[in-house]
Amino acid sequence: MAHSSGPAHALPQDDIRGRGIRFAARAALVVLAAASAAACGDSARAETAGAPKAGAVRTLVLGAYTTPREVYGERIIPAFQKMWKEKTGQEVRFQESYLGSGAQARAIKEGFEADVAALSLEPDIQTLVDAGLITRDWKAGAHGGMVTRSVVVIGVRPGNPKNVKDWTDLTRPDVEVLTPNPKTSGGAMWNVAALYGAQLRGQTGRGQPGAPAAEALLGDVVRRVRVMDKGARESMLTYESGVGDAIITYENEVLVARKAGKAMDYVTPRSTILIENPAAVVDEYADKHGVRDVAEAFVAFLGTPEVQQMFSEYGLRPVDEQVGARVAGNFAPVQDLFTIRDLGGWPRVTQTLFAQGQAFDRASARLAR
Amino acid sequence: MSARAVAAGGGSTALRGVVALHLGLLVALPLAALAWKGVSHGPAAFWGYVTQPAAVDALVRTLWTSALVAVVNGVMGTATAWVLVRGRFRGRGILSALVDLPFAIPTLVTGIMLVLLFGPQTALGGWAAAHGVPIAFAAPGIILALLFVTLPLVVRSVEPVLRELDPAEEEAAQTLGAGSLRTFTRVVLPPLLPAIIAGALQTFARAVAEFGSIVVVSGNVPFQTLTAPVQIFGQVESGAPEAAAAVSLVLLAVALALSFATRALRGRHA
Repeated sequence: MAHSSGPAHALPQDDIRGRGIRFAARAALVVLAAASAAACGDSARAETAGAPKAGAVRTLVLGAYTTPREVYGERIIPAFQKMWKEKTGQEVRFQESYLGSGAQARAIKEGFEADVAALSLEPDIQTLVDAGLITRDWKAGAHGGMVTRSVVVIGVRPGNPKNVKDWTDLTRPDVEVLTPNPKTSGGAMWNVAALYGAQLRGQTGRGQPGAPAAEALLGDVVRRVRVMDKGARESMLTYESGVGDAIITYENEVLVARKAGKAMDYVTPRSTILIENPAAVVDEYADKHGVRDVAEAFVAFLGTPEVQQMFSEYGLRPVDEQVGARVAGNFAPVQDLFTIRDLGGWPRVTQTLFAQGQAFDRASARLAR
Repeated sequence: MSARAVAAGGGSTALRGVVALHLGLLVALPLAALAWKGVSHGPAAFWGYVTQPAAVDALVRTLWTSALVAVVNGVMGTATAWVLVRGRFRGRGILSALVDLPFAIPTLVTGIMLVLLFGPQTALGGWAAAHGVPIAFAAPGIILALLFVTLPLVVRSVEPVLRELDPAEEEAAQTLGAGSLRTFTRVVLPPLLPAIIAGALQTFARAVAEFGSIVVVSGNVPFQTLTAPVQIFGQVESGAPEAAAAVSLVLLAVALALSFATRALRGRHA
């Protein structure tokens, strides 16, 4: 097998619905990983004896979330394989698995032995830290462990027939809204945090800054939501099938859809959140498989200007400042761009917005009345 | 051969052991693990999980839609069985094969089919929505999906009993002056009733647990279109497995109660 990929790669990404299928896919991957580990026994032994020699075949298992699937498969992995071959003479085979970010984190925690985890949000990496699988300081890298950025935007129908301009328009009775459910999609937490944070900062042009107004806005938007899909991709598919007037989504999702020739407009709210996506070496498994050098090189590779440029071509904002300046024209400016740290950091946001009975639950409970 | 005679047989103890082990490993053990997880945070936490407004609302939605589907299936399944057993017409074999088809289709695909047919942008779905009855992403979509995935249950439960029924009794009743309705309610229905009820209860239990088609065809909005299995899934995904297990236990208790009811019913009429 030349450019190998796990069976999960062949499955439709977030369309994998139901845990059974996920388990099956994961089990198949683990079996495959074990089989290829056995097949590559020579290089594994060489690993423990000393540095693997040129000509050896190395295997890297990548556990990622679904959004960057295309750019990894089409651009980054081939480029890395080429670079590594030139540098060391070794061939790197990849086993890729793509799941929703939270599901992927759980899969790795439960024994899917990924050497590198590329996930949607920091709490999912934290899951692996808490499980004792990531033992080194993964934030020590150049960009604090982050490899890409994006912003939360509002996708609208071509020509913006409902004249949606900002978060407050999503409360209008004539606007039907789509967003994935933050209970099932970690990525959807960005959506909720974006509009909640905008009101918290008093940047929506409606009412006062502060938590009560933010929760009220959240409740008014949730009231207009027609379909809460399981994940970001499913939500986009529902929207593309013609349901809804507006979709809360990520800028890169819209840009990718446009790149694929789909007619889609979007508006960037006056105030929205900066999405930051992390990637990290899963120390426990990388060491176990004897591929720490490859895994670390791959994560570092993600931050290079070459790969940052590739990410930007797939609609993701680069973390590298020079590339960022070069491609700035591709991305709409945001008047009031805030980060998760401005909202107190992930632990606080998860606790006050998404924990049982907290802001999101209270906001959706208003639907009961 | 009576049960006692079987029990006295030589290999029966070993056989019973094998069956007990089989069921124990396959059913009892996983359920025990679930129950353990559900109560692992204590009874107060358990009560908190199952009385949480979103969970209660989802449970209620699941129970009423499933009950409705059980009733509709009870009526339509009996009618279908009647046509299949008593009808003599071309295409009966095809009709019978059609009945089993829903079991062969992944429920996820069922959901996709229904959205393709009844989504708000389709001719049918658009027309229904314009008349105030949205189907996909609303309660009618949930009910259609449940009807589809449970279709064979009542039909296949009633069919063998109906086949055993002697048409001569019906003819006798009609000869004695009973109308067709009276013949049906007095002669045909009573022996069929246990099978109909058993099939309807199975329908209910199956509907309560349905996930694959619902997650696609329903809007899954809390307090609007969220059902219990999807709500449970959300709890798992958002890192609250104890809450998920607790609500699952409620569904399980309902299924268990129904299973006992079915057994009692069958026992009485065996």
